[in-house]
Amino acid sequence: MMVIELQSPMIPSELRNHGHINKVAVIGSGVMGAGIAAHCANAGCDVLLYDIVPKDATDRSIIAREAIARMSKSNPETLMHPSNSQRIRPVNLEDDLHLLKDRDWVLEVVVERLDIKHSIYSNIEQHISKNAILSSNTSTIPRSSLVKGMSPSLASRFLITHFFNPPRYLPLLELIVGEEIEEDIFHRMSIFASERLGKKVILCNDTPGFIGNRLGIYFVQRSIAATLDYGFTVEQADAMLGRPIGLPKTGVFALMDLVGIDIIPAVIQSMVENLPADDPLHIIAGKGEEIISDMIAKGYTGRKGKGGFFRLNTEDGKRTKEARSLIDGSYQTATRNAAFTSAKVGRQGLKRLMTHPDKGAAFVKEILLDTFAYAASLVPTVSEDIHAIDSAMKVGYNWKKGPFEMMDSIGIDWLVGEMKSANIAVPEFLSLAAEHGSFYGIEEAEITRLNSTGDHIQILKGAQETTVADIKRRRGKAIRRNASASIWDANDGILLVEFHSKMNALDPFIMEILLAAVDIAESDGWKGILIANDSNNFCAGANLGLALFGANLGAWSSLEEFIALGQDTYQSLKYAEVPVVSAASGMCLGGGCEILLHSDGIVAHSESYIGLVETGVGIIPAWGGCKEMLARVTTEGLVGLGPMAATMMVFENIGMAKIAKSAQQAKDLGYLRGSDRITMNRNHVLANAKSYLLELAEDYSPPKPHVYHLPGPSGRSALTMALNDLAIAGHATPHDITVISELAKVLTGGECDHTGELSEDDILALERKAISKLARNELTLDRMEHMLSKGKPLRN
Amino acid sequence: MPAVICGYFRSPFTPAKKGDLANSRPDDIAAEVVKGLIEKTGIDPNLIEDLILGCAFPEAEQGFNLGRMLSFLTELPHTVAGVTVNRFCGSSMQAIHDAAGRIAMGSGDAFIAGGVESMTRIPMSGFNPMPNPKLAAEMPEAYTNMGLTAENLATIYEIKRESQEKFAIESHLRAANADFTDVIIPITTADGIVSTDGCIRPTSNASSLARLGPVFKADGSVTAGTSSPLTDGAAFVLICSEKFAIAQGLKILASIESTAVSGCSPEIMGIGPVAASQKALARAGVSLKDIDVIELNEAFSAQSLAVIEELGLDTSKVNIDGGALALGHPLGASGARIVGRAATILTRNKADIALATMCIGGGQGIATVLRRVE
Repeated sequence: MMVIELQSPMIPSELRNHGHINKVAVIGSGVMGAGIAAHCANAGCDVLLYDIVPKDATDRSIIAREAIARMSKSNPETLMHPSNSQRIRPVNLEDDLHLLKDRDWVLEVVVERLDIKHSIYSNIEQHISKNAILSSNTSTIPRSSLVKGMSPSLASRFLITHFFNPPRYLPLLELIVGEEIEEDIFHRMSIFASERLGKKVILCNDTPGFIGNRLGIYFVQRSIAATLDYGFTVEQADAMLGRPIGLPKTGVFALMDLVGIDIIPAVIQSMVENLPADDPLHIIAGKGEEIISDMIAKGYTGRKGKGGFFRLNTEDGKRTKEARSLIDGSYQTATRNAAFTSAKVGRQGLKRLMTHPDKGAAFVKEILLDTFAYAASLVPTVSEDIHAIDSAMKVGYNWKKGPFEMMDSIGIDWLVGEMKSANIAVPEFLSLAAEHGSFYGIEEAEITRLNSTGDHIQILKGAQETTVADIKRRRGKAIRRNASASIWDANDGILLVEFHSKMNALDPFIMEILLAAVDIAESDGWKGILIANDSNNFCAGANLGLALFGANLGAWSSLEEFIALGQDTYQSLKYAEVPVVSAASGMCLGGGCEILLHSDGIVAHSESYIGLVETGVGIIPAWGGCKEMLARVTTEGLVGLGPMAATMMVFENIGMAKIAKSAQQAKDLGYLRGSDRITMNRNHVLANAKSYLLELAEDYSPPKPHVYHLPGPSGRSALTMALNDLAIAGHATPHDITVISELAKVLTGGECDHTGELSEDDILALERKAISKLARNELTLDRMEHMLSKGKPLRN
Repeated sequence: MPAVICGYFRSPFTPAKKGDLANSRPDDIAAEVVKGLIEKTGIDPNLIEDLILGCAFPEAEQGFNLGRMLSFLTELPHTVAGVTVNRFCGSSMQAIHDAAGRIAMGSGDAFIAGGVESMTRIPMSGFNPMPNPKLAAEMPEAYTNMGLTAENLATIYEIKRESQEKFAIESHLRAANADFTDVIIPITTADGIVSTDGCIRPTSNASSLARLGPVFKADGSVTAGTSSPLTDGAAFVLICSEKFAIAQGLKILASIESTAVSGCSPEIMGIGPVAASQKALARAGVSLKDIDVIELNEAFSAQSLAVIEELGLDTSKVNIDGGALALGHPLGASGARIVGRAATILTRNKADIALATMCIGGGQGIATVLRRVE
């Protein structure tokens, strides 16, 4: 097995410019095949989607055609923009193999049967180009079996590219190569997967289940066994195995519902057949088998079937979540508070949880000790690199920490002691870690990992994958810092502003830091300001709690000062003498969206959810959101001419709190400009944002203020009429009318006439007037309170 | 001097946004129909006085005095004039009335009259709705949403949802059984030739309609199934003086006996056909029992049923080939369609007198009485 470093800077630069993959063929249009095809289309590739010709079909490519039609209805959406489906062409395996000749990459995603896969490879070999890469998405068949009988030339271009479902949303891509693979092939695929498809590429050894499923299936199966041993309900098990231990709230049983219960026996069967006889999975593989096969037989295959371990009962018109009894298969209303006390204790660390004296803690401890021992025993079999293993679990299974990071956080010595007293054999690699004290370390501000021979070596990471955490670790000290945000030197003359308030909620402290950044950049000759953070969500808006607190005290002047401070801050960002670039990802809502709107440029992760959602909490965007959007939709050519054009589009966006569900969609809605950039890989967003900022910094001059022509009272009448119709039709509540009427006043320019001109300051004044009025409305405060306590909008 | 109808043709009517004409400009659709009308009637284009075009939202692709642009698009001689008239849904019936009136005054012998609407490409109420704020505040019903006027009539006339649905199903059935091929001019689009209507759903039934929710009023009775669909399409007739038609050897479908318009309260605009029809019948010197064929534009089931009840119409004579609920209602084109259809049925059934009437947003009605010419 050759060892190739995955990091981008290690890749010879000439490979970056050739061997690009643009034309793709996906063979098999099932859930995974269609999902991968859709994601390749999201990445801008030209895609052929193949499937078989059904018996007596008149439309011979109907299977693939229907798969493409289903994409636009999928939930969650597989397409980042509906028009992406136009890049995918339905074809069939009988008439269209000749079309393979210009494909750069051909991916096989058919049923997990070796004979069928072999016959596909031999059928297509004569049609694909000599430079094309061929790969399989198999999750269970070893590469060594797949290449049997293949010509050496094809085998040298054959990889396993193992995607996780759904391919758009799960960033893990396991890559399995062989000794005969040419380096060039490997580099082409990893650059493509990382930059174009946005995947975290993890190189795995050719062993059953690779990394993610090897460990993931063991964990699930070990958890089922423990649940039965402890006599727990599925709610109890999931309540302990989800958030309390840093896993998604689906835990184990709800996860199986999501994945599909029917695929579980086949996956376990294949693992059992292929794993060595001494693998601990064999001991627990049969646990719960009869429950699962009974569920499958009766159609309880999870969310796609009649339900699974959980189901949503909608019989009496209400949606009731029910849980299945592991004893008799009956469904009862799911218990909401099934967690043991130890789950809460877990907030202070996993060790506190595991040592708590209750049954839930004992349950978690038993599962985790075995899982940790198993993980340590897999090094170096599945991979020599613990960082790769941890990353696979984090990006493939959404674990907050990987097993080795979890072990470090608990303490290796304590774990080894506990394993010994529980009669668990301590794997060699874990003993090695015990000698060193930990799996990870920091040397000269760089993170190191323990390798299989017992050395701590630096984790190599390309400049393109730099995070805010890297910058902070290397720099050590911030230029300026307060409770909610900090300014850092990001090298090359760039100032970086990081938010770190709770949920990155905007407050006066953040405004203070943003203003300071502008001041420092202008007076000390910095080239530009980068607004970025490592959080899942860039910024979901203003600190509502603070606003509500002020309103409840009747501290109107301080609330109005906060509004004005935000307006001044954002105007300062817009008109600073240096450019400002924001690195967007995850949720960018309300005030967070308004920061984007005032930036000179945006580099957005493709999975950015952007919108002005203020009406949901009874207010309107008042930090220049209305002002910028009115200008934006016109300058970006999203609307035609006429006094109502811009007003109507912005009214619809803000009035309906429309959220773009991808960066591509955000361009349609005007939250992103045509010139703003989209990056598919979350880890590349910061580096790309910085390069964009450096480009803008050359020869920069601040933008010219926009001059507005708005329709005034006539336009407001039209919007009011539309609003009244919505109310009569039952689509708007009384307070919606109040809030959106205020929005209409701002967006139509108040009492102006459309032949006149309004300035940015005029619109800002209208925004302030509207929000001050709304903030004094009890129903708005009810909305805020509801959002803070329930996490969803109140329809009052 | 009596005016006569010497030919009627239309484009297929297809659903807005998702139909086959959604990607076609309204002026292009209208031009093909006018060219077809000229070719099929055999009229000498040099003798046409004016092209009178009805359009409810004459802006954007329907702007620039579309009537005149159409005369260029159809390669009529430059001596043929062109005008656009707007009476919302009554626009193309108004175009016919204008032609008939001018013939009566001796201001011309041959007119192309009709209308077009792309409800895909020009939104109802236009791209820049800017109502008079004072009027909107003091008399909001002046700008009332059409669906709510149907709800108002359903309430006043106590028209149950089931009756509205029954009426809609009947309209679809009749339209599905009718043959429109002789009047449809196929339209060439970027995606191919479109020659069939797209709105008719012969499978509409009580249970499929019952599943739909009210669209305009939360606790109302008017649904998408009992409202005419947003539609793209064009319809035109050739109107000539009787003397001219005979001299030119044109085929005469019917003569225009009388016309009328009338206003009513805007919040019950759907009742507009009642007064307009009564006036037109009186002017023609006929009574309802003399009428064999009635074309009543079906803006909404509730509105049609209110008119039927108020006038006491015999439903077996109303919309014999189905109505707008099934065929669709491209606002500017519907008036010419129902006049043309009434004339066609008169000829086909060898019947005597027909009434074509429709309601108009803002509170109006318009009506035409036709007589078959032997």
